[in-house]
Amino acid sequence: MTQRREFLARLAAAAVAAGFPTHGLTDDAGPSRTTGAGGSTAARALPSTGLSGRVVVVGGGMAGASVAKFLRLWGGTGIKVTLVEKEPRYTSNILSNLVLTDTVAMTSLLFEYTALRNSYGIEVVQGTALSADPVARKLTIGTPGGSRVLDYDRLVIAPGIDFDYPPGLETDAARAAIVHAWQAGPQTLTLRSQIRAMPAGGVFVMTIPATPYRCPPGPYERACVVADWLKRNRRGAKVIVLDANPAITAERVSFERAFSVTHAGVIQYVPNAPVDFVDVGAKTVHTPMGAFRGDAVNVIPANVGPALLRDLGIANAARGFAAVDVLDYQSTAAAGIHVIGDSSATTQPKAGHIGNQEGKVCADALLRAFGGGQPDPSPVTNSSCYSPITMTTASWLTAVFAYDPSTKTMKVVPGASAEAEGASTGHFEDMRIWFRTLMRDTYA
Amino acid sequence: MNKVLVITLATLGATGAIAQTPPAAPSPGRLLASNCFQCHGTDGKGEGTFEKLAGKSSGEIFNELREMRVENKRGEIMTIHALGYTEAQLRAIADYFARQR
Repeated sequence: MTQRREFLARLAAAAVAAGFPTHGLTDDAGPSRTTGAGGSTAARALPSTGLSGRVVVVGGGMAGASVAKFLRLWGGTGIKVTLVEKEPRYTSNILSNLVLTDTVAMTSLLFEYTALRNSYGIEVVQGTALSADPVARKLTIGTPGGSRVLDYDRLVIAPGIDFDYPPGLETDAARAAIVHAWQAGPQTLTLRSQIRAMPAGGVFVMTIPATPYRCPPGPYERACVVADWLKRNRRGAKVIVLDANPAITAERVSFERAFSVTHAGVIQYVPNAPVDFVDVGAKTVHTPMGAFRGDAVNVIPANVGPALLRDLGIANAARGFAAVDVLDYQSTAAAGIHVIGDSSATTQPKAGHIGNQEGKVCADALLRAFGGGQPDPSPVTNSSCYSPITMTTASWLTAVFAYDPSTKTMKVVPGASAEAEGASTGHFEDMRIWFRTLMRDTYA
Repeated sequence: MNKVLVITLATLGATGAIAQTPPAAPSPGRLLASNCFQCHGTDGKGEGTFEKLAGKSSGEIFNELREMRVENKRGEIMTIHALGYTEAQLRAIADYFARQR
């Protein structure tokens, strides 16, 4: 008995050194705590499954937070989860276009990691992943306090996207003058200020990159709500949408109607217009379809895989994204490393709602692996999204994907894909419910 | 013998390969049902979500989903979701939510 207690004490000491919470090692009951912000985050009663394993998750966005939460919720206290995230809190991209119009407050888009820590016992570390040793299964991270090495049985990488800036936007100064606001945060507020600084009759020029990019309907939503704001506040102002793609890439019927009817005379849509050059000083975007000058200019650069994927040797799909097996999201280039969310290259869209789903499929597959089993052979995911068309109305789109063994991809189930038949205030209210519930399913 | 015991306990933590009893199998229908959590709440629970599903009778949930497939009102988002699954999958999802309290 003395030897066992001594051994457990040594395990606990080692866990502290490695950065793992110790309460899960020796007893299952965590302390109960509530926080002021966002309601109760008392420790949840996690199941006792008999499973054990260590998972390190890089990236605390929609996919990373989801996989971490569901690993603990479904796997129980024997599954140790460390989440590495460089920001102190998550800022939602979903609904961020409505900050531009003051329909939604920026503060309502901020999500803390408190519940992941307190309710699920996830160790959330502020830091960035530097390198990995997939053979030894170690990840080196940089933190404010110095570098650390984390041991893992499975590594889940979910760092999102990076940008491939066009000529003219090479410097920090240029990128601060003409922002993308495609990662919500300070740039969202900068773009909001720039729109407000427009005169009556002014021009808002925005660019849309070639697919694949995160949130397919997002740029068209931005054009719509900015057009609505301008109609109400800057008489005679125009929105010019320069789309690198040959046609609207999502909710085509809804947005064609929005552009040509709802916002007729305000939005000019120019397809086949990739960005050749941005003249920051002249606030002009040069494309094969012409040069367009704006009082406010918003360039969303091509979305590419973050450098971390290259550093880890898993950037083996087009544009530096990571190819994966969609039964468990394991990288096709490195065993034991899984990639979910916008960083992965699959037939599913890059979107927060889908990132949440992929997190669940991945968590389930990892838990089956820890139990000596195989992934679920028939995963199903869905991608739903509500799109604001004005400051008070919205449409929606949705698609259900099922695993197709012959192509080993997630394929849209025939008949299970559609967009709303029209924009409405009812859908706008539903959008708020969807957002609130999705974020709680991910962060609470 | 004591050294062997310590080593066995150490490897048990690392890989879970030496299990005393088989680990609990995942709850049937759980992964499918998790498709619904983004709108109906984790485990079909929570305040201010779309229709609450936790604890509803399995027959009631299944019949509502089947009715949506039959009526095929394409303008309603739930119709599209209901069409994405086989009847067996819908039954598993309904059973899962019925078991939640």
